[in-house]
Amino acid sequence: MAVEDSDLRQRKKKSPKKATDAITGQVVDDDEDLVKTGIEKLKKIKKSLVASSDSDEPDTKSKPKPSRSAAASSSAPASGGVQPHHGFDGVALLLLVGGLLTRLHQLGLPRAIVFDELHFGKFAGYYVNNMFFFDSQPPLGKQLLALAAHFAGFDGNFNFDRIGSEYPEGFPVYALRLLPAVAGSLLLPASYCLLRQLGVSRPAAGLAGLLLLLDNAVLVQSRFMLMEPFLLLFSVLGVFCLVRFRHYRERPFSLPWLGWLTAGFVFLGAATSVRYSGLLTLLLGAVIVCRDFWTLIPDRRVTSGQLLAQLAARALAVLAVPLLVYGASFYAHLTVLHKAGAHDNVMTSAFQASLDGGLASIIQNQPLEVGHGSQVTLRHTLGRTCWLHSHEGVYPVKYDDDRGSSHQQQVSCYSYKDVNNWWIVKQPDIDDMRVTSPFKPVKHGDIIQLVHGMTSRALNSHDVAAPMTPGNQEVSCYIDYNISMPAQNLWKVELLNGKDTGNVWHAIVSQVRLIHQPSGTALKFTGQQLPDWGHNQLEVTCDKVVQQDDTIWNAEEHRYTLAEGSEKQQEDMAGAEMLPLSSARLSLWAKFTELQLKMLFNNQETVQGHMYASDPLDWLSLKRGVAYWISPDSNAQVHFLGNAAVWLAASASLAAYAGIMGIYLLRRRRECYDIPEDEWDKMCDLGLIVLLGFALNYLPYFIIDHTFFLHHYLPAYIFAVLMSACIVDHVFVLLGRVAGGWLRLPAAAGVLLWLAAAVYTFIRFSVVTYGTTPLSAPEVQALAWRDTWDLIVHKP
Amino acid sequence: MKAKTTKSSDGDPVSISKWIHKFRQSKDDHTWWTTFGLILCLTMATRLYRLDSPDHVAWDETHFGKMASWYINRTFFFDVHPPTGKMLIAAFGYLTGYDGKFEFEKPGQKFDETHYLGMRFGCTMMGAALVPMAFITVWELTHALPAATFAAAAILFDNGMVTLNQYILLDPILMFFIMGAAMGQSKFYNQRHNPFTVSWWSWMAFTGAMLAGAISVKFVGLFVVVLVGLYTIKDIWDILGDLSYPISYTVKHFLARALCLILLPTVLYMFAYYVHFTVLSKSGPGDGHFGSAFQSQLEGNSLHNASMPREICYGAGVTLKNHRTAGAYLHSHPHLYPPEAGPVQQQVTTYSHKDYNNIWLVKRYDVDMPSEEEEAQPDFKPECVKSGDLIRLEHEATSRNLHSHRHPAPVTKRHFQVSGYGENGTGDSNDVWRIELVDGKEGDQINVVTDRFRLIHYMVGCALFSHNKQLPKWGYEQQEVTCNPNTRAEFALWNFEENYYDKLPNVSFAIYQPSFLEKFFEAHMVQFQGNAGLKPKEGEVTSRPWQWPIDYQGQWFSIGDPDKREPGPHKDHEIRIYMMGNPVIWWGNLGFIALYAVIYVWNFVSSARGVRESAQERVRKANLTYACNWLMLAWALHYFPFYGMGRILYYHHYFPAQLFISMMSGVLVNYMLESLPRAVPSFRVDQTWTAFAVVYLSILTYSFYLFAPLTYGMSGPEKKEPGHRYDHLLWMDSWEF
Repeated sequence: MAVEDSDLRQRKKKSPKKATDAITGQVVDDDEDLVKTGIEKLKKIKKSLVASSDSDEPDTKSKPKPSRSAAASSSAPASGGVQPHHGFDGVALLLLVGGLLTRLHQLGLPRAIVFDELHFGKFAGYYVNNMFFFDSQPPLGKQLLALAAHFAGFDGNFNFDRIGSEYPEGFPVYALRLLPAVAGSLLLPASYCLLRQLGVSRPAAGLAGLLLLLDNAVLVQSRFMLMEPFLLLFSVLGVFCLVRFRHYRERPFSLPWLGWLTAGFVFLGAATSVRYSGLLTLLLGAVIVCRDFWTLIPDRRVTSGQLLAQLAARALAVLAVPLLVYGASFYAHLTVLHKAGAHDNVMTSAFQASLDGGLASIIQNQPLEVGHGSQVTLRHTLGRTCWLHSHEGVYPVKYDDDRGSSHQQQVSCYSYKDVNNWWIVKQPDIDDMRVTSPFKPVKHGDIIQLVHGMTSRALNSHDVAAPMTPGNQEVSCYIDYNISMPAQNLWKVELLNGKDTGNVWHAIVSQVRLIHQPSGTALKFTGQQLPDWGHNQLEVTCDKVVQQDDTIWNAEEHRYTLAEGSEKQQEDMAGAEMLPLSSARLSLWAKFTELQLKMLFNNQETVQGHMYASDPLDWLSLKRGVAYWISPDSNAQVHFLGNAAVWLAASASLAAYAGIMGIYLLRRRRECYDIPEDEWDKMCDLGLIVLLGFALNYLPYFIIDHTFFLHHYLPAYIFAVLMSACIVDHVFVLLGRVAGGWLRLPAAAGVLLWLAAAVYTFIRFSVVTYGTTPLSAPEVQALAWRDTWDLIVHKP
Repeated sequence: MKAKTTKSSDGDPVSISKWIHKFRQSKDDHTWWTTFGLILCLTMATRLYRLDSPDHVAWDETHFGKMASWYINRTFFFDVHPPTGKMLIAAFGYLTGYDGKFEFEKPGQKFDETHYLGMRFGCTMMGAALVPMAFITVWELTHALPAATFAAAAILFDNGMVTLNQYILLDPILMFFIMGAAMGQSKFYNQRHNPFTVSWWSWMAFTGAMLAGAISVKFVGLFVVVLVGLYTIKDIWDILGDLSYPISYTVKHFLARALCLILLPTVLYMFAYYVHFTVLSKSGPGDGHFGSAFQSQLEGNSLHNASMPREICYGAGVTLKNHRTAGAYLHSHPHLYPPEAGPVQQQVTTYSHKDYNNIWLVKRYDVDMPSEEEEAQPDFKPECVKSGDLIRLEHEATSRNLHSHRHPAPVTKRHFQVSGYGENGTGDSNDVWRIELVDGKEGDQINVVTDRFRLIHYMVGCALFSHNKQLPKWGYEQQEVTCNPNTRAEFALWNFEENYYDKLPNVSFAIYQPSFLEKFFEAHMVQFQGNAGLKPKEGEVTSRPWQWPIDYQGQWFSIGDPDKREPGPHKDHEIRIYMMGNPVIWWGNLGFIALYAVIYVWNFVSSARGVRESAQERVRKANLTYACNWLMLAWALHYFPFYGMGRILYYHHYFPAQLFISMMSGVLVNYMLESLPRAVPSFRVDQTWTAFAVVYLSILTYSFYLFAPLTYGMSGPEKKEPGHRYDHLLWMDSWEF
């Protein structure tokens, strides 16, 4: 060290001179600092060169010892080199047994719908019945539940109506809850093994497992048909695999190297396919792998070709593997759910038509090409489902805000199937409504008229402000009042995907814009609701802005007009019989993209100000829990609430880590090295994985504008608990270095005391975790340690 | 620069190439000042050209002009932004003879005789200062004259920047302070080798003052504070690492920075609010946003100089105000809920105006108010309401009790209906409410105005609640009052505003007058609420951050008056102004960001892989990394946080970020040009350099000229109408001009 320092000083004196020779003085003046940092870098590189030449020499003779070569690169992340053991040992086994005991205990109780079982149980039922449903989260977790349901013989015939309803006799509650419970149990040994891989001592890693075992929140979440157990297990396993992968950096492309890398991203991809928030841990995984690669770049023993190959392999693993897993789960999703179901209406007509039953059975064998004489229903394609509608009833002469209307027949968008949704496509120059022979299909750019089937009035628009959106033109069905307001009922058909259909308007698949002539405005769904006079239907207008999603329509139901005379036609319409011709299909890829877009942009109605909602800031201090279930006959209840003794310590440990590392950093800056280098490297590594894991899973919730509940914090919380064990580990390492290490005894006593507190709290709150004990009102109130914990008291 | 070359082109070619050589070397003071002066002239010319048109209110001038009027008239108003920017506008107006009488009613309103030019001129000058300040900043970062010139040109020739700077808006002022802070920072950085000298102190204090300015114009000024803060941390970190100094030296540095960069801005920021409160002493449109105590200080407000009993006692007549921004008074009237809104009982609402129907009598839950005989006794002592008491509230005008029950509320079906019930003050057990003081314990006395409390329905356990949802016509569109089962809901807090009871002595309201600090914090609470409330309405199309760097869509500043449009030479009233960044510069900047990422990774990898290079080359790269990293960080800090903002966003929010990325483009162009010697034979370097530089600057100038009508006024038919003159400029479908 001393030699290096003097060397450094010499360089300090020399290098500015050198630089002055080469370039103008000014630049050097300004960049003395940069030169300095450059020298520091040189020093680092030199260090690593010395180290690597150490290990390089024996390299020619014999194979390098694994521990030696790992130290070669100065910034190699983990100490210790390849750990031959993956860390699953007796302690892990004990944790697993403990997990299974706590999680499987009285698993079938309460025998009623608890919290979100309402959704996930229902979804499992849909899977069993192959019925299509829509949910804005990805399907893998639900599929796992459905698999369990399938093997347990659940027939899917149970109506999940509301939280708290009893499951009927014969419903396999236990089987459905078993899989999450097992996942929740496996989480404990997985966390233990992760910490062991990070170089944390066995007792400390065991402590982490024990703390997770004792946490009531993790326990509650593992005992019901919920998604978090899968999410947490897959996340922790994924990170574990990637940490393990790093130990093989000396043996790139070996079987374990490839295996752990792939396995890691399979798990993280699976986590993402359970809940989108798994993406955050996937990001952590990407950071781990990229950071590992970044430290590899300065390693001269790796050739540039090898570097490129590694880059390609890692990029493939980060991007392709999770995508494959994700895609596979959707493949299963779309293949299994081939029947029409409850949420059909969310999807476009084309999608619905590809499902068995439902719309498909209605439009089966309906004619494809829309032309003169076609009777169609026009559906608003993207966003809210409704059909272009008109009825007897005119716009009021004056609106509440004193604007006038045209007083013509109302046109709206109606969310239900109705006989008034039928329109007849007509070419302006032909008066007979029947299909002509030869048949004249409507092509892209054609001018048509649309005649409302039941009233025989033509769709019209004019320069009158629309009722709810005064910036747009009103759309009406034209009534000739014989005043100076001529009919303007010509519409130009623009096909958005005309190329697929040879520029001919096809029912179901063609997306159409109807451009009003001559104003050039487009028929648009505004999303505004009409008042009572419009029967609270949705407003339709003509908008100058043509390029928007709400101006897209498609013909859904379709048939040809064959009867003569309008009366007969109306009769036909009311009869609604179909003519058999041909049908439509949709590729799996098209279905996937549509479903995916709907999921991403579906603004689910969120309940603002939900009673048990909480802010991300409240999570650290365990301010509120969530009531999951309450017995109708007593105060027995399931309340989602963490173990305060574990929870608060976990939050505090994050601050402790920041504080400890801050002190070390400042001290090291003054070249005071307080702890051994390998312990320092380990602490840095913990920061990279555990602290970053926490931050990535926690901070995004501040940005997203949504209603959150305490259980959204669980992925971050797991990392916080791991951190508390790491801090304990570090404290013991520190104490072992001072005064002969006897200080470790009182510290151990402190940890035991803390554990005792955790056990006490666990037992105290297990009544609201398992929810099988009827409680008296004072007993419940005694559990509300903070006045913001809203446990329910509804019986004396 | 380009103009310079053409100007001297009559002279002999050797002198031009000599000048260019000097320009490249950037060592000559004379060359520096020539370039700087030239840029200054061009800046003034582009900024002041057609400053007076349009002669009507453009875009947000309607807000900020109005606010300037309020300052001049000293009437209190509320705005979500801090006061400095608007006070400066008011000062510009005041100094140039604007009398505060113009309404600024809506965009398009004619100014006529109003002295509006002074305000526009003031804002424009602050906006114009951006160009020379950018020049100096880049000069300090790189000490390369070409880099500074390119950077200044990218801002100078940005049409959007010119447009945004020409009107009575907060943005030129905000950007002035942001750029000022950046310039001070870079100046200060170059003083680092002579710490604690006068110029060291003064540049640091300058930076601090600019930070205060930035954050007291708009809260987004916080980003530049973060930028300077991060930089200061790195600075201290470097000083700490210098082992030749003792640790106390670091502490000294730290304290100096705390003084100039934390304390000074804080004091200046608070001073701005002090001036704000002092100037605005009269009651005005902003009163309702603030609490009752605050209002009592405003001249002309009904609470000004009022006096009433301090404690709330049984038998008193009171008004209750929902404690939130623009909270209204609890109100009832003799009309009933219609059958579709639950039980047909008397309506209870909140109502923003003062009215006799807002008065309620406070009574004990079981017995009536002290009888008249009792009150008449000489030793009668009124009993006052304490936190935790069970009370009834009787509506004075109709003698019905405030009542709730387990029936859904008229609009918010999850809540319970609140109604007026009973006859002459006799009702049932559902009229009982428990009053719970916030921030107090049970048994505490409840005071008028200052104390906030909840009213918990005794039987149901829900809390009296109100929000902005309006009742339908039958409720006269007053706001809904409900009983919320979530007793911790945000809007379940109330306070007593008026208190009539003749058995208690009146005290002057002066005792409630909040101190400056209380006012300061209250104003911030209200501003944050206001900001959070600026959510896009349902169906409203808002600008999204991803659209900004690609120049997806501009912003209409003035849409002219289509009815008055006539053929022939255009007149002022039909001028249309469309603020949109110069697409050449904006898209170019995107390219430069990508280019820099590639260069950075390339440089890192080649040095990590031990590629040998000269010391000169290393320093050149380090220079680039230093300057560009700092500018990229500044850009990122001023851009990415918008992705996380739920409030409504506008295109012009991107302009501060654009400043930094334009500066970076200058640095990068210079770096690329200086890399030429590697690519071309040495005797061609000078010529190639000149050619590239001239072409680059010409492209900037020409594109500015091309899009100049957007800035200085377009006329004729609109987009898509026949005869539209600007079809050749519609490079993207989304552009609206």
